[in-house]
Order: sequence, then structure tokens, then C-alpha cells
Amino acid sequence: MDTAFIILSLITVGGAVWAVTLRNLMHAVLSLVLFFFGIAGFFFYLNADFVGWVQILVYVGAVAILAIFAIMLTHNLTAEDEPEFFSLRWLTGLAVAGAVGAVLWFAIKNNTAMSQVAPVGVASNVADIGRKMMTDWVVPFEVVSLLLTAALIGSIVIAMEQISHRK
Amino acid sequence: MYNFFDQLIVTLGTWLVGLVVATGNSVSKICCGQTMGDAAAHNVAAGTEIVLICVTIYGVFALCFGLATWLERKMLARIQNRYGPNRVGPFGLFQFVADGVKMLTKEDIVPARADKLVHFLAPAVALAPALLMFGFLPFGRNMAPTDLDTAVIAFFAVGAGSELALFMAGWGSRNKYSILGALRAVAQMISYEIPLVLAAVPVVMIVGSLSTTQIVAAQGADGFLDVSGWFVWTPWGFAGFVLFLIAATAESNRCPFDIPEGESEIVAGFHVEYSGFKFALFFMAEYLGMMAMAGLGVTLFLGGWHGPKLLPSWAWFMLKGFLIVCWLIWLRGTLPRLRVDQLMAFAWKAMLPFALFNIFATAVWFYLPKTTLLQSAVAWLITAALVVAAYWVVSRFVSRRAGAPRVYRYAS
Repeated sequence: MDTAFIILSLITVGGAVWAVTLRNLMHAVLSLVLFFFGIAGFFFYLNADFVGWVQILVYVGAVAILAIFAIMLTHNLTAEDEPEFFSLRWLTGLAVAGAVGAVLWFAIKNNTAMSQVAPVGVASNVADIGRKMMTDWVVPFEVVSLLLTAALIGSIVIAMEQISHRK
Repeated sequence: MYNFFDQLIVTLGTWLVGLVVATGNSVSKICCGQTMGDAAAHNVAAGTEIVLICVTIYGVFALCFGLATWLERKMLARIQNRYGPNRVGPFGLFQFVADGVKMLTKEDIVPARADKLVHFLAPAVALAPALLMFGFLPFGRNMAPTDLDTAVIAFFAVGAGSELALFMAGWGSRNKYSILGALRAVAQMISYEIPLVLAAVPVVMIVGSLSTTQIVAAQGADGFLDVSGWFVWTPWGFAGFVLFLIAATAESNRCPFDIPEGESEIVAGFHVEYSGFKFALFFMAEYLGMMAMAGLGVTLFLGGWHGPKLLPSWAWFMLKGFLIVCWLIWLRGTLPRLRVDQLMAFAWKAMLPFALFNIFATAVWFYLPKTTLLQSAVAWLITAALVVAAYWVVSRFVSRRAGAPRVYRYAS
């Protein structure tokens, strides 16, 4: 392990741990941003700079801002009251975390790409990604864009209904 | 002679790096009795290069920031028929030094209930992306700080970080006016980021690369003049340039899009609780962001450092960037501030569809044959017709209601 990897891991793990442990929601989101930067750093570390920049553009520029907007609309920003040590919510949390963990574990375990060694010192990957996306992966690409369009239209429809109800 | 001035800064830089490596060698000879190994010498050279580039960029653009504030005040004063700063130095030229000293010595006020850490970090987080954005622009021949394959997307990705800073500032101040101002600012910046990126897409389509160095190289032409290759002369390039300028104005929160800091109608916004040097840092971040955007506009559409070989390449880059900054100041002195709903409607109903039409026109241009002069002229006319038609459709049908009187949902 070299120094860059250790520093990136510290940033990433630190951000992730703070994101779930900090009581102040806004601080938690900012730690999450730190975590996103750490992940982007890992992409740079692995020579995948395009994915790294997209990580920053999408996760820091859009997802984090969206999360902040969502938090702004919630009531209790700084949960200063100490929660009870054990509650039923723990069980639900445990179940959800277990389900997500199981899916991830199976996905990683059955992934053949993980065992392949990444090519070292590849200079250009943007053109390759673009070409792959427009040839081999054109159907998934179009499906994803369709899904996003549907989500956009759906959000507009929901917002329009609220406006017409108020009038 | 021309090459000497053109490469003056590069030569100086190489000389300095060589000097540092030579000094390192003699030092290690004295200490260890032998010169540095190849790896160590390479590391020293690379480190020196990085430090030199950073110091040069920060120094030059910090000075440009100071001069830009003076220029802005002078030009606005001229537009408003008054003198502007005229006490410190010739023509008030050293006003920015006086302002800087004043800002440094002012009391730093932090609200009692503020989120101290976030309030403290926000100005630094605001300044960092503005400085980083300069790292992706080629300032002259052989003068690109980094030559990334993904420079354009990197520029926009880094710029996305500044929205976070505005939010941190607004929230960290624990003041409802701050937070409202931050919400306005973030909503505006997110909305205008889409037309900004879409305005840059045609250039990437034609060049086939996200690298700023290659984009500039694609706009070069042989001969003395070196202006014919600029993308702004093509119909899609012109439309893209106009879109880019408007979106960049909004993205750097400049008038007429300066709703985030509308000091006369609405309490200034995210930085009301900042004083002294922290406020100066926000101010600096805004100006540096504006200059970086001007630099990207020059790189994408105005041929980067290409220009008639009367001036060195880096002088052309700075001159073009300076002209865009002057245009922004002129705009600020001329246009009134937009209302927030007009601003949003303009982004989503006028700029976004027009940018998409422009991408389509670029695709048409890409596939039209352009081998002979006649074919090029035909391609130019067809693309121009498409762009004009798109403008007509958007202005006539899509964005017709963008300027309609505001409907107040809660206040009427």
C-alpha cells in the first residue's frame, strides 16, 4: 500500500463514519461530501479520471446539493435530544442494512470483473467510454435515459398537481 | 524574435526548474558526497514545476482580481457619469491595495449562534474551486498547467464545488436572510449550469476531445493572422458563445443575474454575516470564478491563445479574457437586475431548448461536406439557417411566457 492509498482511505472512511455518526444533519451531509471526494480520489488513483470527475460533478454538484435541499425541508436540523439506547427502529435499520449488505456481497462475490487486473497506464479513456456507450451498451444507455426522462416528467406532474390543489 | 517573446515564460520556468535541480545537486554533493539519483532529480523538478505554476497562476490572477475591481469601479463610474476611485495612486489605481489592507484589518465578526466550523470553512471552500479552475486552461503556446484528457468536464466538476460553499456560508451563519440568499444562489447556479455545459457541448462534438489543449489546437490556422479557425465564426459556435456568455454571467452571479447578492432590493444574501477578510475571500472567489469562466469562453470559442502574430500567444489569451471581463462590466452597468422567476424561466424555457437546438445544428454541420470553399459556404448557410430558425422558434413559442407578469401564489 502506498501513501496516496492510505490518505484516500482515511478521507473516505472518515467521511463515511462521520456521515452516519454526527448528530448534526448538516455536518453529516458535509462529511458525506468529503466521502464523495474520497471516492473520486480513488478513481483518479486508478487512472479512471473521467469517472472521477463525473463522480464529483454528479455527487458533489448535484446529489449533495439535493440532500441539502431535502434537509432544509425537514424540521429537526440539529437533533440535540439524545435518543433512547434501544428502540424498534434499530431492528428496521438492521434489516435494511442487512438486505443492502447481502445484495452488495452477492454482487461483489459473483463479479468476474473484480478478478481481472486493471490495465496500468491507460492514457485515454473518455473516447473508449463514449464508443462503448454508443455501441455495446446503447440499449442500457437508452433505457437509463428513458428512466430519467420518466422521473423528470413524474416530478413535474407531482409539482403541477400541488399547484392546482392550492388554487 | 517572436518565438522568444512567445515562449518567454516557458523558458523562464524551465530555467528556474533547472536552477533548482542544480542547486539540489550541489547541496546533496556537499551533504552526501554525490549528486541526486535520477528519480530524486525527477521528483525535485516535478515539484518545482508544480510550485512555480501554482505561484504564477495565483500571483497573476490575484493581481488581475485587484485590477479588475479597480477597472469595474472605474467603468461603472464612467457609465454613471462620476469619477470613481481617484485618490490612491495615479487614477486611483492602487485603490485595491488600500481596500485589501482595510479588509485585512477589519474586525472578523462571527454570529454568536453560528455554526462556527462551517462558517469558518465556507470562504476557503468558495475560493478553492475558483483557483483550481485555472489549472485546466491553456494560457499560451506550451503553457497549459495540466494537459488532461478530461479538462472541460474537470473544469465544470470543480466549479460545482462552489455551490456547496455558498450553501455552507448561508447555513453556517444561522441567519434566515443568509439561508434564503444561499437557496436563491444555489437554485440559480444549478439551473444555469445546464445551459452552460450544453453550450460547451458543440465544441466538444466538433473537436472530438474534452482536452482544452486539443480544443485550442483545433482552432488554429496557418499563417500570420491565425483567426480563421476560431469557433465563434461558425453559426453554432457563435450561438454557443452567446449562450455560454449568458450562462457564465449567471454562473458567476454577475449582474443582471446577481439575485444572490441583490443588495438594494433583497438583503444581500449568503454573505450578510461575513465581514473583513472572509468577505474579501468571497469577493475574490466571485471575481476569480468570473475570470476563469472568461478564460474557458476564450478557450472554447475565441481560439484560445491563437491570434495575429503581433503579440505573444499568452498576451492574446489575456487580452481576450480581459475583453470578456470588460463586456461583463459593461453589462452590469447597463442592465437592471432580473426578477427571480424571470431568471428561472429564462434558463429553462429559453436557454435550455436553444442550447439543444444548437447541438442539433452542430451535428448537421459535422456531417455536411466542407472540402471546397463552396461546400463550406453552403454548410455555413444551412447551419446558420438552422440556428436562426431555432432562435425564432424558441423566442416565439417556447419562451413566450417567460417575461409574463408574476403570479404571486401566497402574497397576492
